[in-house]
Amino acid sequence: MLAYTVKRLFTLIPTLLAASILVFLFVHLIPGDPAAILLGDTATPEEIAQLSAEMGFDRPLWIQYFLWLGNVLQGDLGISIFFREPVLAVIGSGAETSILLASMTMFWIILIGLPIGVLSATKHGTWVDQITSSGAMLAASMPTFWLGLYLIMIFSVTLGWFPSSGFPSLSDDGGITNLRYLILPSLTLAAPNAALIVRLVRASMLDVAREDHVRTARAKGLHPARVTIKHVFRNALIAVAAAFGFTFAALISEAVVTETVFSLPGIGRLVVQSILRRDYPVIQGVILVIVVLYMIINLLVDLAYARLDPRVSLK
Amino acid sequence: MNTLIFLRDAFAGRKLATAGFLWLCLIVVAAIIAPLVAPFDPLEIDPVGRLTEPGWPNLFGTDHFGRDTFSRAIYGARMTVIIGVGSVLVALFCGGLIGMISAYFTRLGHFLMRAVDVLMAFPALLMALVLITLLERSVVNTVLVIGIVYATTTARILFGMTLKLKGETFIDAAVCSGAGNSSILFRHILPNLLSPLLVQASFIFAFAQLQAAALDFLGLGLPPEVPSWGNMLSEERIYITRAPWLLIYPGMLIVVSVFSMNLVGDALRDSIDPRFKDDIAGV
Repeated sequence: MLAYTVKRLFTLIPTLLAASILVFLFVHLIPGDPAAILLGDTATPEEIAQLSAEMGFDRPLWIQYFLWLGNVLQGDLGISIFFREPVLAVIGSGAETSILLASMTMFWIILIGLPIGVLSATKHGTWVDQITSSGAMLAASMPTFWLGLYLIMIFSVTLGWFPSSGFPSLSDDGGITNLRYLILPSLTLAAPNAALIVRLVRASMLDVAREDHVRTARAKGLHPARVTIKHVFRNALIAVAAAFGFTFAALISEAVVTETVFSLPGIGRLVVQSILRRDYPVIQGVILVIVVLYMIINLLVDLAYARLDPRVSLK
Repeated sequence: MNTLIFLRDAFAGRKLATAGFLWLCLIVVAAIIAPLVAPFDPLEIDPVGRLTEPGWPNLFGTDHFGRDTFSRAIYGARMTVIIGVGSVLVALFCGGLIGMISAYFTRLGHFLMRAVDVLMAFPALLMALVLITLLERSVVNTVLVIGIVYATTTARILFGMTLKLKGETFIDAAVCSGAGNSSILFRHILPNLLSPLLVQASFIFAFAQLQAAALDFLGLGLPPEVPSWGNMLSEERIYITRAPWLLIYPGMLIVVSVFSMNLVGDALRDSIDPRFKDDIAGV
């Protein structure tokens, strides 16, 4: 296990560096003077010259990369053109919403996806399975923003049960009850992902059910429910647990659309708005943060997976 | 011929998947003959007849510019087909080539697959957004961006499959009989990959629709004047309470088409060569 952890860490570092080079090159791929791009339209020639000297834009590209990487490692991702604030602080202000939204979405995915998947697998081949499987596929075929708009129309506009947009921080008035702002967005974001989990739980439970140890358990006369829970479900859960991790990592960027529909002040909407405002330092910073987070979460999932299923680290 | 038999077997006894397949055929036909069947010009603005309810002669009603929603929906089928087929071609060509070459030429492959790993570190939608930032809004760029995003997963999958095929006896036989590299790759390996490629294509087609609609919604996809189902939803979303039909029809068209494509993909996957079962994830 230790050897596997070390091995995985060593493969992570080159991938991280390569990804950081791509993120660094992003600003250089935009036509124009990078200093002028980073400072926006209102910058004076003096400011542009100053930033050019600071970032070494007149020096070879690889030196620029190391200067940039040095800044990044010290937490300096540049200054937002639009907000006139450090990029890290801008990203940080969206973190609460994004993390809460992703967590709440995971909650729904587990609460809805897991039981339906188990039901679908245990009733394999019956009409229950057909309805749940097709329903899951239908949910995965919906554009999330479309679903979100209809949820707003039904539950906010018509019934008035939940607020339709925005999210005040948990530290504002209302405290924990402010989470009601995230109920509709998290359900919207959960729908297609829960559908994938349903399909995955079903597939991996059916896989495990074909294995010899399950046949043995049945042959020695165990109660079918006990076989399903202890022998099939628990083993199937290993693959599903890994999928949960990957889903969580992907949610941060998948939330882009949902956050836009519900006007949530999260990182996802920040990306879109920054693209529309041409706020390149923020775009670059968000990409870097999301990619690093994504890779670290994926690494942790892999390690957890190897721990749950020791065969993985032996391969 | 083998592919035809494969198709026939895949749909045998699957009513829902067959219905899905027929729906997709209908979309393709509508896309081709759009100018003949659309009752109005999809771009014609009529300030007087704004937001009229579905009825005659505007079957699906009109939008906030007074444009006929039914005609726009029919022309939208064109964009669906262009985006779907285009992204599939880009993804399969780039991804397939990288995957096959990487598996066949091990040394080059090691380098190429590491590069694919790096690109896969970018979540799909984020990568699409990054690429879109660098390009202008146009149909070609949308196709390119979505195609490139799915090229990475395709490369991974084809890499695994080619690696498996490479170990088969018939490849050894081809090597012994003096076949060259390109002959082995394209005449012996590629034909064996056609049915799994078809499965992959159907899933990419489905995902491409959702990605394109999401990009349209964010204002970063097709140019706003292009009548696509995603653009129709995006433009008319503020009229959801006043003119709900403007969102129901294009939305349902997207859902039914993506659902159909997923059903077709599932049916194809279930009848695929068992050797490749584990490789195709469908996600």
